[in-house]
Amino acid sequence: MADYRVPPEFETERLFFRQWTEDDLGPFARLNADKEMVRYLGRGAVMSRADSWRQIALLMGHWQMRGYGLWAVDEKASGALIGRIGLWYPEGWPGLEVGWLVDRAHWGKGYASEGGRAALEMGFTQLGASSLCSVIHPENAASIRVAEKIGEGFARMVEVMGVEAALYTVTREE
Amino acid sequence: MPQPPVPQEFSTDRLYLRQWREADAGPLARLQGDPEMMRHMIGGPVSADESWAMIAMMAGHWRLRGFGLWAVEEKATERFIGRIGLWYPQGWPGLEVSWFIDKAQWGKGYASEGARACRDIAFERLGAADICSIIHPENAASIRVAEKIGEHPSRTLDVNGTEFLLYALEAAR
Repeated sequence: MADYRVPPEFETERLFFRQWTEDDLGPFARLNADKEMVRYLGRGAVMSRADSWRQIALLMGHWQMRGYGLWAVDEKASGALIGRIGLWYPEGWPGLEVGWLVDRAHWGKGYASEGGRAALEMGFTQLGASSLCSVIHPENAASIRVAEKIGEGFARMVEVMGVEAALYTVTREE
Repeated sequence: MPQPPVPQEFSTDRLYLRQWREADAGPLARLQGDPEMMRHMIGGPVSADESWAMIAMMAGHWRLRGFGLWAVEEKATERFIGRIGLWYPQGWPGLEVSWFIDKAQWGKGYASEGARACRDIAFERLGAADICSIIHPENAASIRVAEKIGEHPSRTLDVNGTEFLLYALEAAR
């Protein structure tokens, strides 16, 4: 299976990006069980603790198969897990995605943009991508603002896993 | 990190059980897209994209638990024929010995051969007190495999509205 193609760990000004462990299950499951948090994800259904465990397994497996993935993100000041940010490209996805999900207790601090920008840099510099995208629910205004802040623009509507979503994209030249 | 007590890969008489590769996505998708193969499986047929995600999830299960489902090859042909192993995601009713073999290979005793080896690994290397297998009540072939490795029907189990049987086996004292 693939070696790391991006750093397994790194930090930005306020965030620490790292690999997943089983200890993340508690905080990650809490986040995924929050209706407000998952409203714009996939079909918008809250996830059980068992679902969250499987999702951590999937995130780890994605890293193993692709050599990159979504990092577990801690707030440096508190050391607490605040969400997942990174590069996502499972089979059948519309492109190499910059993805973010940040605990709503931390919304409004610019963490998603800070992390999204770092992940985008990794996609272009480490993976040599010519373009990147983000799959966003058309009513998710906060995430659309993040996409725009990191330089993405609306490209088209796409269907991902049977759900209609807006595709925001950015090319390396931009 | 200490070496997990379960082998990453090993052989039985006729089978080679190994870790997953991205190249398994196609062959696994072919098996999991076949309605006959999936008739008695939880969730039913699976798309090619979902098969890729499932391989990723199985790889993650290995990382989290130190054991999991192996990709299985027939030694004679070196062909991928399915998956056999130990499955225990969060919330599962117990440590499951699980098998899923290409219908082109049915009737050769491959599932029993692999499942027996996994049963022994569960008891001897993981020190499990008991193992189980979750089987659709109409899946006569799998029920025979469960019985061959010593499991007995223990109780019924509702999985997303479908009734399954839980076969179980306790460790010898």
